[in-house]
Amino acid sequence: MTAAVPTIALVGNPNAGKSSLFNALTGARQKIANYPGVTVERKAGHARFADGRPMSLIDLPGTYSLIPASPDEAVTRDVILGKQDGERQPDALIVVLDAANLDNHLCFALELIALGLPTVVALNMLDLAERDGLTLDPARLAQELCVPVVPTVAVRRRGMTELLGAVDEALRTAKPVEPIAQVPMPGAAALHSRARAISRAATLSETPVRRWTARVDAVVLHPVVGFLILLALMFVMFQAVYAWAGPPADALEAGVGVLQSWVVDNIPENFLRDLIVEGLLAGVGAVVVFLPQILILFLFILLLEASGYMTRAAFLMDGLMAKVGLSGRGFIPLLSSFACAVPGIMATRAIPDEKDRLTTILIAPLMTCSARLPVYALIIAAFIPDRAVGNSPVGLQGLVLFGLYLAGIIGALVVAFVLRRTLARGSAAGFMMEMPRYQMPQWRDIALGLWQRAWIFLRRAGTIIAMTTVVLWLLLTFPKAPPGESQVDYSVAGRIASGLEVVVEPIGFNHDIALALIPAMAAREVAVSAMATANAIDAGGDEDAMAETLGQRLQGKWSLATALAFLAWFVFAPQCISTIAITRRETNSWRWPMFMVGYLFLLAYAAAGITYWTAVAFGLG
Amino acid sequence: MTALLDNAPLGVAVRIAGIDWSAMSEDEGRRLREFGLMEGVEVTPLHRGSIFSRDPLALAVGRMRVIIRARQAAMISVEAAA
Repeated sequence: MTAAVPTIALVGNPNAGKSSLFNALTGARQKIANYPGVTVERKAGHARFADGRPMSLIDLPGTYSLIPASPDEAVTRDVILGKQDGERQPDALIVVLDAANLDNHLCFALELIALGLPTVVALNMLDLAERDGLTLDPARLAQELCVPVVPTVAVRRRGMTELLGAVDEALRTAKPVEPIAQVPMPGAAALHSRARAISRAATLSETPVRRWTARVDAVVLHPVVGFLILLALMFVMFQAVYAWAGPPADALEAGVGVLQSWVVDNIPENFLRDLIVEGLLAGVGAVVVFLPQILILFLFILLLEASGYMTRAAFLMDGLMAKVGLSGRGFIPLLSSFACAVPGIMATRAIPDEKDRLTTILIAPLMTCSARLPVYALIIAAFIPDRAVGNSPVGLQGLVLFGLYLAGIIGALVVAFVLRRTLARGSAAGFMMEMPRYQMPQWRDIALGLWQRAWIFLRRAGTIIAMTTVVLWLLLTFPKAPPGESQVDYSVAGRIASGLEVVVEPIGFNHDIALALIPAMAAREVAVSAMATANAIDAGGDEDAMAETLGQRLQGKWSLATALAFLAWFVFAPQCISTIAITRRETNSWRWPMFMVGYLFLLAYAAAGITYWTAVAFGLG
Repeated sequence: MTALLDNAPLGVAVRIAGIDWSAMSEDEGRRLREFGLMEGVEVTPLHRGSIFSRDPLALAVGRMRVIIRARQAAMISVEAAA
């Protein structure tokens, strides 16, 4: 053994159930970071051997072989070979195989075993293989591969103790390994026929394949019906974001109110109290209220991913995306961008074609991310009546929200079409992907994923949003307005906003909005907290004004045309420092992020303007 | 009698007779091999595109299902499975 705490790496093909196994072994004790220098996500965690000794586990990106086709696959190779900066070569490997797909997964396993590191094979998803009518002989497989083979069902935590026991044993009996200079590369054909031979030897009996998956796919991938199902699913998802979030959001809002009154009652009136009540609580509170909606959205995305449907969605969308020069591969990053463009842009690394990838990165911010939800939710709730469309069960508010999402998507398709014919011209994008089986999502994995998202959101609310809110509060509070003048208009921030107002007035934006736009460069949802803070200051000691919600106050001050223009603005506006930073990192230059910011602001201005002028023409001004 | 995989009817198993490796990029070729698409292997075309396009093509290769584009399917010639 090389160190006190051994490092064990999980490796395997995509769809081998690696992440579930990683979750089962480490529980919630995970740390997600980036490999230094590259933006590939590094998932690490801890587990213990039977006798209590700790080990550290890392989950490597899924790949088909040691020859990488994309940046994340390169990380897998470099970590295994000990060439990744800042990463020790793992002391042992757990090679994860899909029991129902040995023919293919054994190829990579054979490559890995040939490296000579202590290796244990996890024969994963054995239950699904049995469901598909496959009976395997793990002992025979171990004999053929010359390494221990442990049957596992990661999602039910079966075989975990045995797996770690086998790893322990492999580490104890390991002979020192020569550092590997060269990856041994048998011919692909030879490797495949060897894999197939082993697979046949280890298979006791086999009945025809995956009837259940085939039956579902016949409907879900139907050229017409399948597409309607996809549309319906997305529609339900966006309706649910609205319909389900009400009660918990109200509860959170009430909670913030209680906190504010508590502070008012218990802290003597001074600068600090105002900062807490008007700045921190009003600002951060206005954003935290949207946690339920963000979690509902992520719940859908995680469920679609875990069930195996996401790849079907990519299949259905590929034809359409090919027309604008993208590929179905891009659908997954773009759908993730509905949650947040940052992981979406990072997920573009799975797109092999460079121009295809660049275009996908540039349009990712057009997908309506969860940070826009607070803005949309506030404005829709205040200005769109809460009633059904005609006699249908479809709510008007949900429909408007759906329309905003659709506007982003259509905008993205048009931009992609133009880019692929101008700046990002290249060969037709390819689309090669494995389609996983359908699986029942495991609540434990989903819950863990949701918890991680909630934590990231709250941390953002606690840091970047809290900070911008406090700075804004200071700028709004000073200098003190003489009696009779509006404090907000008189303050530093108010004066800056007045300058900006000149630029945005033609598109129907008022002083409130001009004031919110500047801090919202840090993050879109700050627009809401900024308006909340400004309104709290404006209300001053007036108790009636304090009791009104932000929405009610805006209703009194804005026309419907202004509200709609504001919504249209946020469909396009690139107001997110994190997205700009990640684009800089992923494209490795300032050129593309600058281009992105420029074209998005132009679109935002045009969209808001057209919306405003049209609405005014219809008498809504 | 050989035909192109791109024209093969859905739901009928065929055997890959030949692949024009020279017509595709190195990455494309490697990924095809990693999917197990090689001469002599039996595949079944399953689904094709959506209302908008005949692209892409979903295939069953052994117990795996993979998606490729029609362009690649046109580089693969197939014969009736035995």
